[in-house]
Amino acid sequence: MTVPDTGVRVEPGSFRDPGNRVFHRGDEVLRGLDERSARDWRALSAADFFRNLTAAGHVVGTEELTPTPVDAPWAAVLRHDRIPFVSHPYEWSCAMLRDAALLHLDVLGAALDAGFTTKDGSAYNVQWRGARPVFIDVGSFEALRDGEPWAGYRQFCQTLLYPLLVQAHLGLDFQPFLRARIDGIEPDQMRRLFAGTRRFRAGVPTHVHLHGAMQARNSAASTSDVRAQLRDAGFSRELARGTVRGLAKLVRRLDHRPGDSHWSDYQRTCAYSVPDRQAKETFVDRAVAATAPGTVLDLGANDGRYARIAARHAAHVVAVEQDPAVVDALYRALRDEGEQRILPLVLDLADPSPGGGWRGVERAAFADRARADVVLALALVHHLAIGRNVPLPEVLDQLTAFTATGGALVVEFVHPEDPMARRLLANKPDGLFPDYRRDAFEALLARRGRVVARTELPSGTRTLYQVVVGG
Amino acid sequence: MTHLAYLDAGSGSLIVQAVVGGVAGVAVAAKLYWRRLVSRFRRQPTDQG
Repeated sequence: MTVPDTGVRVEPGSFRDPGNRVFHRGDEVLRGLDERSARDWRALSAADFFRNLTAAGHVVGTEELTPTPVDAPWAAVLRHDRIPFVSHPYEWSCAMLRDAALLHLDVLGAALDAGFTTKDGSAYNVQWRGARPVFIDVGSFEALRDGEPWAGYRQFCQTLLYPLLVQAHLGLDFQPFLRARIDGIEPDQMRRLFAGTRRFRAGVPTHVHLHGAMQARNSAASTSDVRAQLRDAGFSRELARGTVRGLAKLVRRLDHRPGDSHWSDYQRTCAYSVPDRQAKETFVDRAVAATAPGTVLDLGANDGRYARIAARHAAHVVAVEQDPAVVDALYRALRDEGEQRILPLVLDLADPSPGGGWRGVERAAFADRARADVVLALALVHHLAIGRNVPLPEVLDQLTAFTATGGALVVEFVHPEDPMARRLLANKPDGLFPDYRRDAFEALLARRGRVVARTELPSGTRTLYQVVVGG
Repeated sequence: MTHLAYLDAGSGSLIVQAVVGGVAGVAVAAKLYWRRLVSRFRRQPTDQG
C-alpha cells in the first residue's frame, strides 16, 4: 500500500498486520483500515464492551473520520487519542509489565464474553498514561470464531508471561531479555532457564515445558490444520475463557518486589541537608512554573520527588531512572495514588534504549523519542562525567539535545569538593578529570544556551542552573 | 472456512491452550490426539493400496 505525500508519516512500528497501519498527520495519530478491518471496526465500535473499556480509559479513545478522507488508500480511517510518551516494555519495571499483562488479559476476557477476540497478544499492545496502562492496538480486535484458541497466546507468553516468570522465579531483571529480542523469550530458551527443580515453579510446567514440548512435537503441523482438529475435538469459547482466567490468576501471583538496591535509599543517604533540599525544591518549582511545559523529562528521577514537583506545572512528566527496583517502587506509589501524568521508566542514560526491530526503527531509540520542554538533570552530571567517564561537553550536548528549542534545562553541578563527587573521584586515578570544574562547566553551558537563573545550595558544594536552550 | 491470522500462532501453542484450560481442555487435547492416532491407522491401508 503506498501512502500519498500529503504530510503523513507512516509509523515504522506498525506494519506486521497488513490489514491496518498507523500513521501520523501533524500531531494526529491515525490508523488506516482495509475492507476487512473496517468491517471488524464497525462491529467493534457498536459493541458495549468496547465502549465500556474506552470510557474507563482501558482502551485508547478512538473515533472514525467521516467521511473517509478521499486521498487515503484505506476503507476507513480512525483517529486515536495521543499517548503522551511512547515507551517500550524493556523500559518498564516488573510491576508495570505485570499490570500491562493483566490489562491485556482483562481486555481479552471482556472481548471473548462479547464474541470478539484479539489477533495478537503482544506487550507492545500496551502503552501508558502516567501510571495507568492503556490498550492501544484497536486494530487487533476481530470477531471470535467459535472453537478456536487465542492466536496471541504464544506472543503473550514470549513478551509478557515469560519475562514475568524470569523476574519472579529467578530474580533476574527481565528488561535485557526484551530489549535484545523484539519477539521476546522463546519457550526453548525458557526451558533451559527452568531446568531441575525450577521446572515445578508456578506456571512453568505448563506454559514453559509443556508449551515448548508441544511446539517441538507439532512443528510440522500447520496452524490451520490444528485449528480444525481442535474445533472437531470440541474446543469451545468457555475453554478459551478458562485459559485467559488461568493466565490472569497466574500473572496475579507473580507479584515480585525487587530487593533494595544502592539507589533505593539514595534520597536519605545522599548527603543533602534539609536547607539544601528546600532550596533545590524551590528552584525546580520556579523553573518549571516559569516554562509552563507540556512535557518534562526528569533524568535520574530516583524516588520521583522532583518529578512530582514538576507535575504541578506540566502536562506530563517522564521520570527516567536506571535502577529497576527504584522505578518499581516509584511506579507502585504513583499507581496507588492514581497518578496519570507521571510515567516512570527504567533507563540507563549511559546506555539508553537503541532502535530495535526491523531496520532498527520498528521500536524507536530513546534519543529519537525524548524531547521535552523542560529537562531536569539533578544530581546527574557527576554520575555520567565521573562515574561513567563521559566527557563533560558530551554530557551537556546530550542534555541540550533532549531539550526543545526555547525550552529549559535545569541542571545541577556537583562541585569536585562535594562529598558525593569526592566519593566518585576516589574510585578513579588522581587527575583523570582536570576539566571537571565549575568554571569549565559554566563556560560549556554558556555556549549551549542562556543561563537565566542560578543558585548555589546552602552547603556551598552544589550549584543549580536554569538554562534556556537555543534562546 | 479458511482463515489465516496475520500472526503465526504456533501449532503447539494452540494445542497447549486446551491443556491449560482445565479438565475439559485436557479432554479436548486427548480427543485430538486420539483422532490423530485413529486416522493414522485408518489411512495406512489406503496409502499402501
